[in-house]
Amino acid sequence: MSRFSRAAARLVPAGRRAWVEAVWAEAHEVPPGVRRLAWLAGGVQMIAREALVPRSIGRWLLFAAAAAVTVRVTWPGAPGRFATAVSRIDVVTAVLLLAGLPWLARWFLGPASNYRLARFLRVGAYAAVLALMVAKASVLRGVPAETGPALQFDWFSQIVFLVVMAGYVAATLAVAARRSRVAPATLAIGTGAGITLGAVMYAVAPLGLSNDATEPWLPGSDIDLVVLLAWVLLLGGPVAAGLVAGWCYSGPGNPGQIANAKIWQGGVAGLLATGVGALIVTVLGTGTVALMPRAAWLRHLLYPGQHLLAAAVLSQDFTASNRVGGYGLVLVAFPVIGVVLGLFGVALTAPMARSGSSPGGGGPPGPAGPPGPEPVPDPPDGGRLADAGAAADGPAVLPGRPGASARDRREIAALTAP
Amino acid sequence: MRSHSEFSAQTLAVLAALCEEPSQWRHGYALAGQTRLKSGTLYPILIRLADRGLVEACWQQEPAPGRPRRHLYRLTAAGLASATGALASAAGPASLASAAGPVAAAGPGARVGARAARARRDVVMPVVS
Repeated sequence: MSRFSRAAARLVPAGRRAWVEAVWAEAHEVPPGVRRLAWLAGGVQMIAREALVPRSIGRWLLFAAAAAVTVRVTWPGAPGRFATAVSRIDVVTAVLLLAGLPWLARWFLGPASNYRLARFLRVGAYAAVLALMVAKASVLRGVPAETGPALQFDWFSQIVFLVVMAGYVAATLAVAARRSRVAPATLAIGTGAGITLGAVMYAVAPLGLSNDATEPWLPGSDIDLVVLLAWVLLLGGPVAAGLVAGWCYSGPGNPGQIANAKIWQGGVAGLLATGVGALIVTVLGTGTVALMPRAAWLRHLLYPGQHLLAAAVLSQDFTASNRVGGYGLVLVAFPVIGVVLGLFGVALTAPMARSGSSPGGGGPPGPAGPPGPEPVPDPPDGGRLADAGAAADGPAVLPGRPGASARDRREIAALTAP
Repeated sequence: MRSHSEFSAQTLAVLAALCEEPSQWRHGYALAGQTRLKSGTLYPILIRLADRGLVEACWQQEPAPGRPRRHLYRLTAAGLASATGALASAAGPASLASAAGPVAAAGPGARVGARAARARRDVVMPVVS
């Protein structure tokens, strides 16, 4: 029965597992027969009420529905066309990746972090990948029939694209996992910088990437302020994110461990600062190119006051379709830039730590940064070890209670004294 | 702070049972027998009360041989104050009797309230002394 209770306890959140075990433990006191069965049935009812199951089923149903819609939208196409085959392989691979990688991530890094931002990152990455598949398939449908020599090159680029997508999903799952050692502040800083970079990059290049800004409103010159801002964010954003993430980190450990953790935070912040931006601009840009031939309002928005003839629209769309490939460069290069510059940024915190201005550097306390999370592995026994450890010294107050006040502790001590 | 009226009849029954001897740790099965609540109702109530800091729980330190450790519950100081107020302001013995069964049927609401007040004194006194 204890084995069953442990298995059942895994269905509920970690903070509730002790209660499930309590019901099962108490069943030993209930007379065998119908009454004990009724007691255990109540336990099952409680698990159903408290369980993660409904939530996880809901999440999986949502993902399955989104995946089904994505497959349904991307699947149609002429059977013999290269674009059709690519789109179908893309979407099937993407759905398999999105469905399978969480299991791997859970195996190595534990379940998703409880932080809302971590969950937001996961959901955002999933939505972005699925949306990108739809947009890419739509763009590919508009590309003229391929020629033989181009075929091999395109297959290679498609494989690279899928590998890059897998990398993005894996990286997102890793940083958003419970045992990832990424501080909430690092997630917030990196994601904020990434969203900013993505928005500015989209403002510069909404119709693919080329040497000049593809935004028709911009003059296409590098000295344009928005273009300049994009460069500043691309090169300065990861440095700033790494610096701030390293400076804010104040986890436990000896100075060496703290220094290593700061380096990790800086690298992750830099990665997020560019990776999130790259994904945003790629999804939005590819989506814009896909929508342009179909959505008149978008053409009016991009080319205000101009009445484009059908031929001009086709030409613009064809040009944009060719430029969409440039986003692949963004997807590959940005994260590398981010990690390198993020590490550079965190390296800048070393002199600050020596001067004692870092909150985690051992000097006088600066502005209080959020504490870095220690890895919180799933309790292998559903939390009983923690309870047992506490019970050795006194009553183990459950996690459900935020924390006993000093008065409560005095009362408990007084009441439990022999 | 939430008002006492948010307590359901079943929750009031659990609070009443815990108020009888607030300094004692109680087992779930004993509470279920006292309140005539099924385990599927009793434990979610205990969970919510613990989440609100009104009930504290611990594992039995010395279980009977061959038996798993039992989970024990009792009211916190805040829980005792809240329960006392809620029980005192309950509509009347009849409503408690319908919800708590033998707990309320054994005595009117005033009796429960008096016990709770006495128990609170018992809890607070060691702290004061």
